[in-house]
Amino acid sequence: MRYFLRRAGFFAATLWAAVTLNFLIPRLQPGDPAEAIVARLSGRSQAIDPAQVAAVRTMLGAPDGTLLTQYVNYLGAVLRGEFGVSYTYFPYPVTHMIGQALWWTVILVGVTHVLSFAVGTLLGAWAAHRRNTRADSVITLGSTFVGTLPFFWLALMLIYLFAITLNWFPARGGYGPGSNPGWSWIFFSDAFQHSVLPALALLIVGPIGWIIGMRNNMVQTLGEDYARLARAKGLPQRRIALTYGARIAILPNVTGFAMALGGILGGTVLVESIFNYPGLGRMMLDSVTNRDYPLMQALFLFITIGVLLANFLADMLYGVLDPRVRREVAA
Amino acid sequence: MTAELAATEARRATRLPGWLVILWRNRKCRIGLVMLAGFVLVGLLAPGLAPYEPRDDSFDGSLPPGAGHWLGTTARGEDVLSQLIYGARISLVVGLAAGALSTVIALVVGLTSGYLGGLVDEILSFFTNLALVVPVLPLMITLAAYSPVKGLWLIVAVISVTGWAYGARIKRAQIISLRTRDYVTAAKFAGDSTARIIMKEIMPNMTSLVVVGFMGACLGAIGGEAGLAFLGLGDPASVSWGAMLNQANNGGAMLTGQWAWLVAPGLAFAGLMIALTLVNFGVDALSNPHLRED
Amino acid sequence: MALLEVRELSVTYRPRDAAHVHAVDRVGFDVDEGEFVGLLGESGCGKSTLGNAVLRLLDKPAAISGGSVVFDGVDVTHASEEDLRPLRWARISTVFQSSMNALNPVITVGAQFDDAFRAHDAQGDAAALMEMVALDPDVLRRYPHELSGGMRQRAALALALALRPKFVLLDEPTTGLDVVVQRTILDRLRELRAELGFAVLFISHDLGTVMEMADRVMVMYAGEIVEDQPAAAMLTRPLHPYTRGLLGSYADPRAAEVSVDYVPGRPPDLSREQTGCRFRERCPVAVAACATTHPPLAPAGPGAVRCVLGGDLPEAGQARAFSPDRPELTTTAPGEPVVSVREVVKDYRVRRGWRTTVTRAVDRVSFDLRPGRVTALVGQSGSGKTTLARLVTGIERPTSGTVAFGDLDVGGLRGRRLTRYRRHVQIVFQDPFAALNPTRTVGYALARPLRNHLGLGERAAVEKAAELLEAVGLHPAEQYLDKLPHQLSGGQRQRVVIARALAPEPSVLVADEPISMLDVSIRAEILQLLDRLARDRGIAMLYITHDLLSARLLADEVIVLRDGRVVESGPALRVIRHAEHAYTKLLLDSIPTLTRTL
Repeated sequence: MRYFLRRAGFFAATLWAAVTLNFLIPRLQPGDPAEAIVARLSGRSQAIDPAQVAAVRTMLGAPDGTLLTQYVNYLGAVLRGEFGVSYTYFPYPVTHMIGQALWWTVILVGVTHVLSFAVGTLLGAWAAHRRNTRADSVITLGSTFVGTLPFFWLALMLIYLFAITLNWFPARGGYGPGSNPGWSWIFFSDAFQHSVLPALALLIVGPIGWIIGMRNNMVQTLGEDYARLARAKGLPQRRIALTYGARIAILPNVTGFAMALGGILGGTVLVESIFNYPGLGRMMLDSVTNRDYPLMQALFLFITIGVLLANFLADMLYGVLDPRVRREVAA
Repeated sequence: MTAELAATEARRATRLPGWLVILWRNRKCRIGLVMLAGFVLVGLLAPGLAPYEPRDDSFDGSLPPGAGHWLGTTARGEDVLSQLIYGARISLVVGLAAGALSTVIALVVGLTSGYLGGLVDEILSFFTNLALVVPVLPLMITLAAYSPVKGLWLIVAVISVTGWAYGARIKRAQIISLRTRDYVTAAKFAGDSTARIIMKEIMPNMTSLVVVGFMGACLGAIGGEAGLAFLGLGDPASVSWGAMLNQANNGGAMLTGQWAWLVAPGLAFAGLMIALTLVNFGVDALSNPHLRED
Repeated sequence: MALLEVRELSVTYRPRDAAHVHAVDRVGFDVDEGEFVGLLGESGCGKSTLGNAVLRLLDKPAAISGGSVVFDGVDVTHASEEDLRPLRWARISTVFQSSMNALNPVITVGAQFDDAFRAHDAQGDAAALMEMVALDPDVLRRYPHELSGGMRQRAALALALALRPKFVLLDEPTTGLDVVVQRTILDRLRELRAELGFAVLFISHDLGTVMEMADRVMVMYAGEIVEDQPAAAMLTRPLHPYTRGLLGSYADPRAAEVSVDYVPGRPPDLSREQTGCRFRERCPVAVAACATTHPPLAPAGPGAVRCVLGGDLPEAGQARAFSPDRPELTTTAPGEPVVSVREVVKDYRVRRGWRTTVTRAVDRVSFDLRPGRVTALVGQSGSGKTTLARLVTGIERPTSGTVAFGDLDVGGLRGRRLTRYRRHVQIVFQDPFAALNPTRTVGYALARPLRNHLGLGERAAVEKAAELLEAVGLHPAEQYLDKLPHQLSGGQRQRVVIARALAPEPSVLVADEPISMLDVSIRAEILQLLDRLARDRGIAMLYITHDLLSARLLADEVIVLRDGRVVESGPALRVIRHAEHAYTKLLLDSIPTLTRTL
């Protein structure tokens, strides 16, 4: 129980830190942040809508007062879920835009991440089980070298091969011009078609970290005394590999699963921008190019909170899986 | 025998730095070192090797690979090969600088946290854990977007401040295990100062860890730069491989069939990553006897 | 046909980037049904490797390089892993050295019984097995990390007996456990064997336990069996000079006269080609033929010996001996104390969540340390003896009470003044492998205290370091100054550690179990060195140990600690020979006695 409370405490603290970081980043630049942003906006050709200036001010929590009052205002706004109005998609509030993009990313990343984890952990466990054989070296070396290829370049190659040369799948977008988002079979099959290449790109590189991590952990656990004793007990190979190897070796991967989400979401920015996929990543990039600061900040905060939440859940799961931590971490 | 021991022995036998001798003995690592040296040479000699200036756009645009331009030209009419050669510089400089900087941050945080313990450790560990879970690329993008200055050093700074956490955690754990060793207590009883104990008793036992961490940080930094540049958030004044891919993608290289413009930067990048990974194999194997004995 | 037949068995370690080591070299022996055989040897002799080879559990880079192991008619060396499975556990089981790691940390103890039953389609009553080793069946529902070391080891023993095997291989089953816990496990093991009649191969470095438990003892040295005969016969007439040396290193601390032998030197490097007898360089009775003849394991007396002399050891030429030679002390000797410990209490606060629990590690302990005298703190782990050492050296501050060094209150020292105090109080550590920085030379380690505390220049420090090395018996000193720790043997390292402690010319030396990690055959040598240094240099020594024999040999005064309290103290001879407190008697009774088997 103490373990769970501790993790909950850590989650609360990181959450607060992330919110504060989000508050601080725009203030790191010299001068008044609101003026700097407005000045930068006015540098662009079109005239500034006063509403946009107001949006900036909302986002920054009325930057006229002292840093402390700004901070208090900002925290209040965050708690009420007010993140201002996007000025790329004026007059929609930022939260509305995020709500639209969210599901695209959650489904794409969720499915590929879980698949990558499962495939990678299985392959890694298998390589460790057959350690020092040809299968092991093929898996280990192969994944190491694929891992050195730049991820966005792989994505480009996929488009070049499957979309442009073979014309099997659409190259860009989340759905075709002919279908409208809605609960229709046509839309879903169209969206699926469009998600194959981005998912494939994520699935090629996704399992690599799990393969290497799982293999190395499991080779180590299989060398421990308890695994040797399991052999001495004459247990079936399967039982040794699963209960005395994989069962213990998978534990660090469970924590890694959530921690890797941060990196995966980074990869999503790349994937979504390459495939012009209507998720959070592309929205984030667009907000940067359009200097849509309220949207960008809210996105950063959303993504961070999502990752923190996932980490918290993984910690809870870890506590259930590993009987040791329930006591040791607390002690 | 640990890497540190082997390194100490090797240092005593030759005049070369000990870790280099050890690395050279490992076959994979030797290949990596040679490849890496190749990239460094290309980077250093870029002005001599490149047939044209990388920004010279006086040629016909979108030329296919041919005699005058081995890898063709860009949509704007620049020579792809020249850009590729100059691109090595950016990757190497960013990798080296950001790798070194984040290693230094990791070392300072890890050392202070691990050696001092107590409240300092609690606070620093919290920030380390926080930095570990914050999504790096979105943070990089946000930081880069707000920065009033653009340029290579901004990229280096952004990559360094977002990439130190993992190294710091590993180093902290190592310090905690080292600082309670009997020989550290013995050094205290021999009257050595804390600074001397850290430098002379603890650090020599961490060299392989620091080298591994540095190599990892380099890999991460090179990848990070390429990613940022590919997203168009890189240094607008320099031609890096990531920026080349960005332009190739936007410039319709796929539609015009200019495979060289598209493939070459990716392969060059992969080559550099493979070189570093191979070197890392050697360092890793030395510091982790489990991997070595299999 | 014997139950276990080992013939010409060799095991070679082939690490990728180091020389190959022939850890086990053409070893052959039998174990009969129901027989209890001891395998005695020191670290690095190959006894555990041999055990793993018999079980076919060797991991890379070690592999069987020749010979055979036949168990119950099955050739274990060449059987496939699948063919071995029915044999494993059902007929041949094992208990590893007591360690956290022998049980799977993520499943309950009970589950580890169940999978053994299931793998062999056997029905078993795990609860009954637990009761057999005097454990509550409730333990089955718990995880390994929730059990104490002794409980884990008893659970491991119960697990080994789960399928009623004919043969159990015990590899250092009680090493690392407290003497009292060790006693209960050994007694239980003896009873169970009488009841169930399984055969045992008992591997240990501990002469006392092996001699007490085994019917027949094999002695291993440098990868070979050098002697094999019934335990009782070995006690009265060892056939090999090495065995004689080992037996001599053991004595009953309660005897009127106590003297222990040691065998100087270290075992040969097994990565090199061996010629002649492997023990000859340490042998006190070596003859010319030993250099050229590699003797076979030949029958002698009631057993067999691998020696040119064939078991006829000359009376003369015993190994060297250490017998304390000092007037018997009946009262606490006069003389101004250097360090006075008065009524010290040390509490540790352990924070768990919001609650804080206070553990009292040391409870109102008082004693004095006097020049040229040795005070032994005796107790099991957790008795507070190491905490007391930390209080005396100023690493920890007492919660209440005082530690005084002359007029100086040690508990109040900080920073530079603490460093100055440490010039006078130095430590000899337990583990010579951890006490020296692997990346620093012997010369560097010795020069630091000389330069810091005595203010010597570089050259003067080197000269003084060489002097110190000679003083601790590392001769010629020049040869050692540039060595790195891993180039030295355990005994040599401990001498360097002692030399470093002597460097600032301290008046107090705290020796924390300085011989417990060393091989039995060289322990007395280090004790003798400590004894001589304390007497000759007038150093007040605090000797911390769990071992009453060494306390008897080295100390003038003995303080017995239990749970942070002094239960008995006084002159060494009186406390050990005429113990009054029940706990002291329990400690003494727990020591394996060689005479019990006679």
